[in-house]
Amino acid sequence: MRLAIAMILTLGACQSSDVSRSLGARCDVDSECDDLCLTGEPGGFCTTSCDAAGGCDGGSLCVSAPGSTDTEHGVCEFACLTDPDCAFLGDGYTCRAAAIVGDADPGAMVCGGL
Amino acid sequence: MRRLVALLLVGGTAYADPATDAAGQGVGGELGIAGGGRVTPGGLRIAGHYLYQLSDRDWFDGSASFTYGGGGAECFRDREDRFICQHGFADGKSVEISANVRRWFAPQGQFHPFARVGVGVALVDFSSDGVSGIAIPLHAGGGVHAEVSPGIAIVVQAEVELGFGAFGHGLGVEPQLGAAVLAGAEFRLQ
Repeated sequence: MRLAIAMILTLGACQSSDVSRSLGARCDVDSECDDLCLTGEPGGFCTTSCDAAGGCDGGSLCVSAPGSTDTEHGVCEFACLTDPDCAFLGDGYTCRAAAIVGDADPGAMVCGGL
Repeated sequence: MRRLVALLLVGGTAYADPATDAAGQGVGGELGIAGGGRVTPGGLRIAGHYLYQLSDRDWFDGSASFTYGGGGAECFRDREDRFICQHGFADGKSVEISANVRRWFAPQGQFHPFARVGVGVALVDFSSDGVSGIAIPLHAGGGVHAEVSPGIAIVVQAEVELGFGAFGHGLGVEPQLGAAVLAGAEFRLQ
């Protein structure tokens, strides 16, 4: 039981510190991020431009930007399986389907705003 | 022959134990590397020293140093809206003055070891993030002093720095933890 609690606490700590200027930090303008600030996401969301060739770190996927029809270029977002996986991003984030850039199969799930 | 012996004796006096040196003052300059991280600056460090003998074993060591590191913007707001900085080992800049005490230990042949403790005040700047502040680091370390000619010595020393700093930009009070390795020369003042 103690081990489980420790693991949960550790996981929680890792999640809250997993955001960075390149992915997940809060922002209002691009200058608060290494690359881009998605101001339409709750609290703002720092992300990085990417394409089919890559550009996202482990744990994130290159998906079409919210509202974009560009299938060749996208932004990195955290991968997830269920809504609780996105809880560390705060209120307003859920695990939703998204189109992986350069992949015809839209089977990806990433954390994004409602 | 007598003249030669006299010269040797004078030379021997010149290499005398710094802790018993009647001159009791010196200056020095050092160059080295400082390592920090988060909001502790690191990089190339240049230091100047003024040494003044307090007792047989203890000397005052007043130091002024400049640390010049690189690094880009490394601060951000996490999801709880806390401002966090994660600068690297050799990022940032600082200017510091410190007051230290150097205690000499028994010489080991040509080498004269010492320990050093003190406290400083530093202006710290991470310009890429617009973050700056004032730090109060404690210094603790040690080194080796070896005279290479009368009144001139080479010095190698290492130290750790532990303290706190008060920063703007919503960062508040943050711990300071770093280390440095420096080497240079010291000159005895007559």
